[in-house]
Amino acid sequence: MSLSHKTILLVEDNPDDEVLALRALKQAHISNKINDIVVAHDGVEALDYLFGTGMHCGRDISIKPTVILLDLKLPRLDGIEVLRRLREDKRTSLLPVVVLTTSNEQQDMLDSYSLRCNSYIRKPVDFIQFTEAIRQLGMYWLLMNEPPPI
Amino acid sequence: MKPEILAKLQDYCGDAVMLEQIQSIFAEANESCKQEIDQAYFQVEQQKALFRVITRLREPLDLEQIFQATAKEIRQLLAADRVGMFRFYANSGGDDGEFVSEDVDQHFPSVIGQKIHDHCFGQQFAVHYQQGRIQVVADIHNHGLSDCHIQVLSQFQVRANLVVPLLQGENLWGLLCIHQCRAPRIWSDREIEFVTQIANHLGVALQHAELMAGLQAEVLERQQVQQKVQNLNQGLQRAITDLQAVNVELEAFSYSVSHDLRAPLRSIDGFGQALLEDYNDILDETGQDYLRRIRTATQRMGQLIDDLLNLSRLIRSEMHLEPVNLSLLAEEICTELQQNEPDRQVEFIIKSGLIVQGDPRLLQILLVNLFQNAWKFTSTSIQAQIEMGQTLTKNHIPVYFVRDNGIGFDMNYVQKLFKPFQRLHNTQEFPGNGIGLATVQRVINRHGGRIWAEGSLEKGAIFYFTLAAEENA
Repeated sequence: MSLSHKTILLVEDNPDDEVLALRALKQAHISNKINDIVVAHDGVEALDYLFGTGMHCGRDISIKPTVILLDLKLPRLDGIEVLRRLREDKRTSLLPVVVLTTSNEQQDMLDSYSLRCNSYIRKPVDFIQFTEAIRQLGMYWLLMNEPPPI
Repeated sequence: MKPEILAKLQDYCGDAVMLEQIQSIFAEANESCKQEIDQAYFQVEQQKALFRVITRLREPLDLEQIFQATAKEIRQLLAADRVGMFRFYANSGGDDGEFVSEDVDQHFPSVIGQKIHDHCFGQQFAVHYQQGRIQVVADIHNHGLSDCHIQVLSQFQVRANLVVPLLQGENLWGLLCIHQCRAPRIWSDREIEFVTQIANHLGVALQHAELMAGLQAEVLERQQVQQKVQNLNQGLQRAITDLQAVNVELEAFSYSVSHDLRAPLRSIDGFGQALLEDYNDILDETGQDYLRRIRTATQRMGQLIDDLLNLSRLIRSEMHLEPVNLSLLAEEICTELQQNEPDRQVEFIIKSGLIVQGDPRLLQILLVNLFQNAWKFTSTSIQAQIEMGQTLTKNHIPVYFVRDNGIGFDMNYVQKLFKPFQRLHNTQEFPGNGIGLATVQRVINRHGGRIWAEGSLEKGAIFYFTLAAEENA
């Protein structure tokens, strides 16, 4: 994976949250560090993107996202299931996944960490706090964190 | 006399008169011999009958069968017209009863089911039988019986009777009655002895039957108790299943609240903020103020949802009971409160060594809420004081209390105190979401205890609680 090429995969079904997340990323002034922000609207789309299947058939899957921001409550395949499939597949088992969700249900947290999510962030209602969270996430995973050598 | 013996006698004595005398002597001797043989025969039959009665007692037969067979046996052996078992009604004091079993000659009436009330058998009739008296009457008209007694006996055509008590241990259970109906009859000692022996053996059977009945009653009672316990258990099992179902539903509900209710709030807040940032120049001060209010309300609602979720988690979480030192917990909480607001002067009085059985996490939540309240509502007091102690109910159950000398509350509204989102003071003066005491109430409920409060305006408040189910007062 080229070091210069940085992609974020945002798995989010709520269009409002998508707009707000993109806005927060833009405000964090890290968009210029990113080549691409790909949005998947459900679990199936997310897996299609990562494995080059379905609607992303033929995509060069050697281009992997630097970090995946994964919502849990998703249509069709939910976030936990997406995480499970990622971890089971050699090609994606080491990809950094940040669970970004509304819930702070204990079961969700336990499931996510059991499946080796790299971080669990609860989206705050307060947009200013939300923006700050996204900014820090972007800073950390795109700039500070060394991605796995895959 | 056999002809050859007669011929021999004729040979010995030629005298015809002498022969006749010898003949008569022999006949007499013969007759007595015959009687003795008869008696011996009767005795053997008696023994056999007794043996059969005893053998029958060892068999798992019910009383009715034993009585029936024994009555038949006695009647045959004694050539009596009727043998009946008379039973006194329980608690009748030996005054009333009826024949429960009999064997009777076909020419005479049955006495089965005949109820007899003692109005003429004479005083202490039953008492004497209880002491073992046997009545031997050869002729009812010639025995000095009362007219009324004779009338009762005549009713059954009795001419002679032999009555032996049937004793169940010490108790007079009934009478074994042998009746002669066709003619008066002199009862021989042997016959009386025989009937007495039979009556004794029947007494043993009666005792066995009583023990058996007692045992059966006990077994039945145990079975009933067992059935009751089983029913209770089934009821409990059903209640548990229902509760589990409710819990599962509650969990699904709360999961959905956690995910779905907050998401729109984020949109409202986010786009409100976006409006403020991107369109600030077109919005005047009032417009901006409105948007800020929208955002404040949204965030408050987000907080309320979180509080509600926490409250519902508290109800669902599993309990782990262990000894908990309430005093230590309270001291830690007080230290933290003081550290957060070092400028405040508050005197804490915590009774030491208050150890209770409870869930440490829930009890921590309980005390945090009570102390935070006390801390908050003494913020305007000059010499603030917060105390935790213990007293006893009249049933000697420990009651714990947290007392403060803060602003207190109006007892008229005490009912509202423990309900979620109910507040007795305005938010500006004393911030809070109205969930603290509702939480406290739930912690107490989960421990099976009780909480109540006393207070008055400007005179402080005191919260009492118990942590175990109280006995019915």
